[in-house]
Amino acid sequence: MLERLSRGRVMALAVAAVVAATTVTACGGDAGGPTTLRFVWWGNEDRANATKAAVAEFEKRHPEIKVETEYGAYDAYFQKLSTQVAGGAGPDLMQLDRATVGEYQHRHVLADLTGTSLHLDKIDTNLLAGGRVDGGQYAVPAGRTTQMLVFDPARFAAAGVAVPTKAGESWNWSQFTDAITKVGASGVAGSTDFGWAIDWFEVWLHQHGKSLYDGGKLGFDANDLQAFWTVTGSLRDRKGVTAATATTKMDGSTQNSALVGKQSASEINYDSSLTGYLSSYGGQLAAAPLPSDGKDTGMAAMPPVSYAVSQRSSHKDAAVRLLDFLVNDPAAGKILGATRGVPPNQDIRDQVCGSATGADKAVCDYETAQRDKVGPAFGAWPTGSAAIKRDFQRTYDDVIFGRIGPADGAKRVVQNAQNSLS
Amino acid sequence: MTRTGVWHVFVVLVLLVLLYPVIWLVSTSFKPAQEVLSGLALLPKAPTGDNYAQVLAGVGGFSVWHYLGNSLLVSVGAVAGNVISCSLAAYAFARLHFRGRGPMFGFMMGTIMLPQHVVLIPQYVIFQKLGLVDTFWPLVLPKFLATDAFFVFLMVQFIRGLPRELDEAATLDGCGPVGTFRHVVLPLLRPALVTTAIFTFIWTWNDFFSQVIYLNDPSRFTLPLALQIFVDQTTQSAFGPMFAMSVLALVPIGLFFLAFQRLLVEGAATSGLKG
Amino acid sequence: MRRTQGAAYLFLSPWIIGATLLTVGPMAASLYLSLTDYDLFDPPKWVGLDNYLVMFTRDDRFWAAVSTTARYVLLSVPLKLVLALAVALLLNRPRRGGGLYRSAFYAPSLLGASVSLALVWRAMFASGGTVDRLLAAVGIDTGGWVDQPQYALFALVALAAWQFGAPMVIFLAGLKQIPRELYEAAAIDGASPVRRLVSVTLPMLSPVILFNLVLETIHAFQAFTGAFVVSGGRGGPSDSTLLYTLYLYQRGFTDFRMGYASAMAWVLLVVVAGVTVLLFRGARGWVFYAGEER
Repeated sequence: MLERLSRGRVMALAVAAVVAATTVTACGGDAGGPTTLRFVWWGNEDRANATKAAVAEFEKRHPEIKVETEYGAYDAYFQKLSTQVAGGAGPDLMQLDRATVGEYQHRHVLADLTGTSLHLDKIDTNLLAGGRVDGGQYAVPAGRTTQMLVFDPARFAAAGVAVPTKAGESWNWSQFTDAITKVGASGVAGSTDFGWAIDWFEVWLHQHGKSLYDGGKLGFDANDLQAFWTVTGSLRDRKGVTAATATTKMDGSTQNSALVGKQSASEINYDSSLTGYLSSYGGQLAAAPLPSDGKDTGMAAMPPVSYAVSQRSSHKDAAVRLLDFLVNDPAAGKILGATRGVPPNQDIRDQVCGSATGADKAVCDYETAQRDKVGPAFGAWPTGSAAIKRDFQRTYDDVIFGRIGPADGAKRVVQNAQNSLS
Repeated sequence: MTRTGVWHVFVVLVLLVLLYPVIWLVSTSFKPAQEVLSGLALLPKAPTGDNYAQVLAGVGGFSVWHYLGNSLLVSVGAVAGNVISCSLAAYAFARLHFRGRGPMFGFMMGTIMLPQHVVLIPQYVIFQKLGLVDTFWPLVLPKFLATDAFFVFLMVQFIRGLPRELDEAATLDGCGPVGTFRHVVLPLLRPALVTTAIFTFIWTWNDFFSQVIYLNDPSRFTLPLALQIFVDQTTQSAFGPMFAMSVLALVPIGLFFLAFQRLLVEGAATSGLKG
Repeated sequence: MRRTQGAAYLFLSPWIIGATLLTVGPMAASLYLSLTDYDLFDPPKWVGLDNYLVMFTRDDRFWAAVSTTARYVLLSVPLKLVLALAVALLLNRPRRGGGLYRSAFYAPSLLGASVSLALVWRAMFASGGTVDRLLAAVGIDTGGWVDQPQYALFALVALAAWQFGAPMVIFLAGLKQIPRELYEAAAIDGASPVRRLVSVTLPMLSPVILFNLVLETIHAFQAFTGAFVVSGGRGGPSDSTLLYTLYLYQRGFTDFRMGYASAMAWVLLVVVAGVTVLLFRGARGWVFYAGEER
C-alpha cells in the first residue's frame, strides 16, 4: 500500500515538475530583463562568422539588447522561416531576397520602416527601390552586388583558355561557350549548369531586350525560356556545363555548390557570395563578367539580400536599431566586409573598399573593374515570384533528367507562372 | 560444424549486414576528415575525437546538452501524459459500464488508423491562436488527453486479461470504481505501463514532424532538430561532425533500448505494435 | 450501472476532452478548411470544391506525389513483410541467445525513424557512397541513388524495408502459437519442409500476416522523415522522392496553402480507409482462422 501511494505521489510530482518546467521554458526571457532579438539569415560559414562578430559588437554597444542568431542554407532557411512565420512566432530581423520581399509584404509579415529611426539617406535610391512596396519601405538592402562568373584560374589556364577579368575586357557567348567546352573536355565540366536559376534567365532576358516581369505580369514567353534551356542543354551534352546529378543540388549556397564540390570549374553567382567561395574552395578562385553579345550585358547593381523587420515583433525598435547598425555603422561595415556584397551605404562602401584586404578586396576589385558593364537594378519582383522561382528550378530538374523537353518545360513554367501571378 | 553452429554463424552474418549502417555511422564519427571521403574501410585507421569535440562545442548557439535537455523534457512529459491518461481511459473502457461505451470504443479504435495530417492543421491553428506555438505544450499536452489511442488499446487488452475475481473482491471490500482502479488494476497494470512508457519515450524522441512544425526558436530545439540545423550549416560532404552529432542524437534511445530490450520486444510482440 | 457511469465518465474525461478538442473538432475544422483558401494570415476564403478540383485536374505535382507514394507502398510493404517473415522463420528455434538475436534484429526498427539514420542513408546511397562502391565493385554503375530520379525512391524503399524488425517480432509471436502437433502430423504424412511451410505455417499465420499487412500499409502511406531528410525537404531530384505527406507539408507550411493541404489530408484519409477496407475484404480469400469451418 505504501509503495503504491508513494509511486502515485512521485508521479504527481513528476507531472507538476514537467508542467512547471514547460511553462518556465515557454515564457522565454521577456519578463522585463534584457530585450532578446532573433535575427536569422542564410549563407555560408564566413558570412555567418562575420555577421556573428558584427552582432557581438552591437551587443557590446547595447548591453540591454541580446541577439540570438540562426543561419542555414537557402532552401532550408526559407522552409523554416515560412513555418515559423506561419506559427506567428517568427524572428524579429530576417534576411530576404527579391523573390520573397514581395511575398512576405503581401502577407503583412513585414513592418513598414518609414518614420522609424532608420537612416536611409546614404543608400542609393535605386537599391532601395526593391524594398519599396505601396509607398512603404519594407526591406532594406544589405549590400550591393552584381552577377559574376567565379572560376578556377588554374583549370582554365591548364585548358589554355583566357578569361577576361580586367576592366574593359569582355567576352561574347560564343567565346564563353567555346571556353567552357574546352575546359570540360580536359577535366570537370567547364561551368555549373546555369539553367536552374531564374536569376540567370533574367540576365539572359535583359540581354535580349526583355525582362522577367513587366508590371505584375510575365515579361517573357515560352519561346524565350525554351531558347535559354536549349543553350544550356547543348552545353550539357558537350560537358560544357555540369551533369544533372550535380546541378540538381544547387540552391545558390556554397554548401551545395557544384564548384565547391569540385564538379565544375566555374559557376555563375552574385559577387556577394565570392567571400564564401574563397573560404570554402580548396584552391584559388577569380571572378569574371558574364558573357554578352551586345551592349546590354544584363548585369545590374542590386541588393543581393535585404533585411526586414517582422510586423509581429514585440521589439520592433530594437530590431530597427540592429538593422540601422548593420547598414550604417562604420564598425559593422568593416566587420561585415563584403560578405553580402559591398556595403549599400556610400560612405561606408568607400571606407571598406578603400582598406579592404583578402576576400573583401576581391569583391571590391571586381565591382570596380566591371563598373561600366553594370546597369541599374532590375525592377522588384511581384508577389508569387517565390513560387515561380521554385517552380522554375523544379521544372529544370525534370528537363535535365530527360523527363520533359525544354519546349514543354518552358510552356509549363509559363503556364504555372501565369497562375501564380493572377 | 554442427547444424546449430552453422545456424549461429548464418544469423550473425545476416545481423552484421543488417546493422552495417549503424556500425558505419559510429565508426565514421571517429574518422578524421580525409578518411571519411576516401576509403571503403569500415574501421578508422586513425580514430579521433575531433568530430565530437566540434559538435560538443555547440550548434546554433547552444550546447548539445541543452538540446538533449529539451528532448528529455518533451519525452518525459509525453510519458507522464500517456501513462496517466491512457490507463484511466483504458480502465473505463475495459471494466466499467456506461452509456455509449460501444460507439466510443469503436471511435477510439478508428483514431488509431487516422492519419495525423487530417487533424494537423486545425490543431496547429488552435495552438497558434492560443499562442502556444514555439513552446513544448503542443508536443506534450495531447498526451495528457489520451490522444495516443494505441496505448489505450494496449492497456484495454491487458486489463481484459486480468481475472475479474480480484475486482469483485475489491467491490466486496467496499471499493468503488476509483478504489478498484487504485488498489487492484493499477498495480497489476505495471507491465503495460512500462511498455507504454518506453514506446512513448522513443516515439516522442523521434517525432521529427511535430517538432519541426511547433518549435521555432533554437533555444527550444530538440536534439533531432538541432541535428537538422547542423546539417543545414555544413557542406554535404563533411560527414564526420554530422555523424558524430547523429550518434549523440541516438545515444539516449540506444541506452533505453539496451536497458529495456527484453520488455520492448515482448511489448511489441504481445500488442502488435509497429516500430 | 448508474454508479459506475459517473465514475466511468470521470476516468474518461481526459480522453473525451482530447477526442473532442484534438480529434473530432479538428477533423470537422479541417474538412471545412479544405473548402477554403487559407494562408494562416488572413481569414479563410470560401472556395467550395475548388481545391479538390485543382488537385485532381490541374496539379501534376499532386499526381506525381500520388504515384510516388503508391510505388513506395507497393515496393516497401511486401519487401518488409517478406524479410520479416523470413527472419522470423530463421529465428523460430528454441536456441540459446535467441532472445538476444531477436532484440538485435529489432533495433533498426527503433533507430530507423530517426533523422540520424536518414542522414546515414543519404550518405550511404550518395554517389561515391557505400552502396555505389559496392555495386561498382560488382560491375554495376549507378552513379549514386540519391541524386538520380530513377533510383532515389529505391533508397527510401530500402530504408523502410530495413526496419522490418517490428513486423518480424510479431511474426515470431504468431509462429510460437502454432501447435506443434500440426507440424508433427504433417511430418508423419511425409510432408517436406517447404510443404510444411506452405500448408501449415502460412495458413496458421495468415491472421498475423493480415495484421502486419494492414498496419505496415497504413504506416507506409504516412512516411515522412526519411523522404524529408534524404531529399533536403524538396522531394527531389525531380520530385522522385516527393511522398504524399512531404507534398502536403510543402503546400501547407512552405506555400501557406493550408486549405489545399487540408484537402490533401482528407484525400489521404479516404484512400487509407479505402485500402484498409479492401485489404480486409480481400483477406476473406486467404486468411484462415483456426477453429473456423473452411
